Amino acid sequence: MELKNLRGRVAYIFDEEDFDVDQIVGVKNIKITDINELAAVAMKSYDPDFADKVQPGDLLVGGRNFGYGHPHYPPMRAMRHLGIAGVVAESFSPGYWRGEISMGFPQASCPGILGLVERWDEIEVDWKAGVVRNLTKGTELPIEPLSKADEQMLIAGGLVPYLKQTTPSRGANREH
Amino acid sequence: MGYTIAEKILARAAGVPHAKAGDELMAKPDFVLAYDFPGYTDVYFKSMKEDFGIEKVAEPERFGIFIDHMVPAVTPKEEELHIGTRKWCEENNVPLFERRGIGHQVAAEVGYAVPGAFVVHFDGHISQLGTFGTLAIGMRRNVLEAFVRDHVSIRVPQTVRVNLSGELSPGVMARDVFHHLVRVMGPSSCRFQVLEVGGPAVAKLSTEGLQVITGLAMFTGAITAIVNPEGERLKYALERARKKLEPVYSDPDAEYSAVYDIDLTGLEPVVVVPPTPANTRNLSEYIGLEVHAGYLGSCASGRLEDLRIAAQILKGRQVKQGFMLNVIPTSQEIMAAAGREGLLSILAEAGAFVSSPSCDYCFGRIATMTDNQRAVSTGTLNVKGRMGSPDSEIYLCNAAAVAAAAIEGKIADPRKYL
Repeated sequence: MELKNLRGRVAYIFDEEDFDVDQIVGVKNIKITDINELAAVAMKSYDPDFADKVQPGDLLVGGRNFGYGHPHYPPMRAMRHLGIAGVVAESFSPGYWRGEISMGFPQASCPGILGLVERWDEIEVDWKAGVVRNLTKGTELPIEPLSKADEQMLIAGGLVPYLKQTTPSRGANREH
Repeated sequence: MGYTIAEKILARAAGVPHAKAGDELMAKPDFVLAYDFPGYTDVYFKSMKEDFGIEKVAEPERFGIFIDHMVPAVTPKEEELHIGTRKWCEENNVPLFERRGIGHQVAAEVGYAVPGAFVVHFDGHISQLGTFGTLAIGMRRNVLEAFVRDHVSIRVPQTVRVNLSGELSPGVMARDVFHHLVRVMGPSSCRFQVLEVGGPAVAKLSTEGLQVITGLAMFTGAITAIVNPEGERLKYALERARKKLEPVYSDPDAEYSAVYDIDLTGLEPVVVVPPTPANTRNLSEYIGLEVHAGYLGSCASGRLEDLRIAAQILKGRQVKQGFMLNVIPTSQEIMAAAGREGLLSILAEAGAFVSSPSCDYCFGRIATMTDNQRAVSTGTLNVKGRMGSPDSEIYLCNAAAVAAAAIEGKIADPRKYL
């Protein structure tokens, strides 16, 4: 099975370096667990009408070291609920990356992406060709290849389905 | 070309003759560690049974569970979580370390920091076992993999080498060294890589100091940090080791993605200003800033050298009226040693609130700040809301600077009290 390409509009660009994703919902809302409540507070300080503008399949774009700090899961849960299908950034902070890949949420590392796109451009992440295409402008840039495990985890739809498919690879921790 | 210590450890753990950065391997962790926390261990324990049909772990001696958060419990729900953890450990015959201190420190004390071992946890601060030549990686949720099968998938990371030289001035601590590294190298300089700390100054740094530097590695973007184990570090770890392994060392011709030479001579105390651990400044720029609370503790401080310098500064002096100074030794072993040295009585007499080990001060579960309060802290992190209200602020600094601020109620240079 192959990883499906992502195709959508650039719904927002976080151009700040070392962006702390908790800011998407605001730190005071980080403990909200109800998904509708979370989605209702998401992006309010960036674009109050974000929820009305975003469409299923849209993508987020980030700067260098996206997800730095102490990332929690609720912000991207909210973004997925609003229809966001993935994130393309200049580079990612490892903790954030592992966390979101384990949720089955596609992330593509693309040095130069901030110079490639403007908000609402239509873009495509082509995993096989290893590029991000700006379909609006007719330009493209290479992405960094996923590790095999990350790719399999995204195809499976997250950590648990991935482990179910691939265990036992070299013997599970079962009592014999 | 030679190999780095990280490459050697992963090659052995994967059962292959050699491993190079970029190789994708299935490696068997020597130890799988975790502390109980809602959404983590409770989920793993449930998922093991329900998703994977695993009733018991096959090799309980490879595991270690810590109860260090929500200690002591303040709601019945928290205590229920702990009860579930105790039950799982008992059923699985897995060692449980409860109320012994912050797990990342206790892990070293009870022998999981085996030189040459590969260790996984969900929390990245486990990197501090690197002080003893252990490759310890925080995998976040993915650590579930280590609970349901004996190997985990890993891409062998590249290594950034930092050579430290020179001498630290009095009042300048390992904590300052780490934040100086972030300042010089940048908060993404070691992204997805191993931070290998070496150079002539390493022999002069204390074991406790190296635990601080390696434990905070994630704020350089590193997935862990490691030191080639020598001297008192090696002795400490081998005496306590739970497993017999041959220590390994980076080859002189090992391949590094980058090498930084950093001279510590002349380094001043620093402060990391909110709202991100990327903001290292000289403490001197912030002298006089009013602060309301001070926290000396966490897995990145709260050890004997921190308690000693705080006691030296506070001896015969008083915490300023209205200032809340919390001093929380990192483990029971450390607390007992500090008691024997008379440090705890000096701190208590000065007006510090001295309490037993717990992680809870670091993330605002207790000693919670309200709007417009400001703390100096040796905790791990200064992001918004970390110690309470999103409208409170955290200034990270070394233990001496926390003690000095406690006397004045504002950020102060600790060196004048030494």
